[in-house]
Amino acid sequence: SIVSAGTDSAATSRSNPCLDAAKACNLNNNCRKLRSAYISTCNKEVSATELCSRRKCRKALRHFFDRVPSTYSYRLLFCPCKNQACAERRRQTIVPDCSYQEREKPNCLALRSQCLADTFCRSRLADFHTNCQAFLASCSRDSYRACLDSYTGLIGLDLTPNYVDESFSNPVLSLWCSCQGSGNMEEECEKFLKDFTENACLRNAIQAFGNGTDLTSSSK
Amino acid sequence: NRMKRAKARHKPCSLKELEVTISELGLGYNSDETVLFRYCSGTCDSAVRNYDVSLKHVRSMRKIRKEKVRARPCCRPLSYDDDVSFLDTGNRYYTVNEVSAKECGCV
Repeated sequence: SIVSAGTDSAATSRSNPCLDAAKACNLNNNCRKLRSAYISTCNKEVSATELCSRRKCRKALRHFFDRVPSTYSYRLLFCPCKNQACAERRRQTIVPDCSYQEREKPNCLALRSQCLADTFCRSRLADFHTNCQAFLASCSRDSYRACLDSYTGLIGLDLTPNYVDESFSNPVLSLWCSCQGSGNMEEECEKFLKDFTENACLRNAIQAFGNGTDLTSSSK
Repeated sequence: NRMKRAKARHKPCSLKELEVTISELGLGYNSDETVLFRYCSGTCDSAVRNYDVSLKHVRSMRKIRKEKVRARPCCRPLSYDDDVSFLDTGNRYYTVNEVSAKECGCV
């Protein structure tokens, strides 16, 4: 990090905080090992028809985020991007082809029911709703950390969230689901999905984290 | 300079490390991700076995002539680091094994 701090102005256009985060992880034995463990699991073809084992992939992801200190994992997940290459790398952090996307997009309320039926997922979702309350004044700098913690807590569960694309100026987070076929619950469904896609608290927390890591890495 | 070279030559076999990019490993992958490359370097003078002395002697008596033999121990990895995974420039993930040394020895 001493080297990267010295070359700030010249490399601005090419700078890639997500690549720096990968480097930091690779240089730490524990982080490299657990990152490699989930990547190889999520990237392992099961059969000609099955791209990967989503269950094993998500388990390995939970393992990574549970066991690796957030100094490494949050840097990978919330790296601040100023170009597409960086944002695409950020989107790829959780190996979305296996852990996030599916052929079909299920209904969001059906996905939520699935989560609520599981004690662990239900409590993590409750945490997320409590700590990333978009419409409360309580979401301030003090609770950013808790919001990021509970967002990350959902990764590897039925409600695994991710960046929807490689947009760097306006990153949008979402679940892999839609509100089609919600019937008379359409409004409820949209409201639930917006807790991810239009969550100002979460967005501010991620932005603040990005600014924060810049400060700590240049002061060290 | 010669002092420096002589000193370096006498360093016993040990593990060293270097930060390199995946591309620089020359395995055919294109990625700017940096990894720690650990390798074995140093001499094995103190690890010469009776085997080496005997082999050298038998060879000098021209009893071994056609085969390629090595009468000196070699500083090589005894074990390798865990797998390394990375994202390449085409946004594909790869995992490679036995790239980096974990433990060195004179074998």
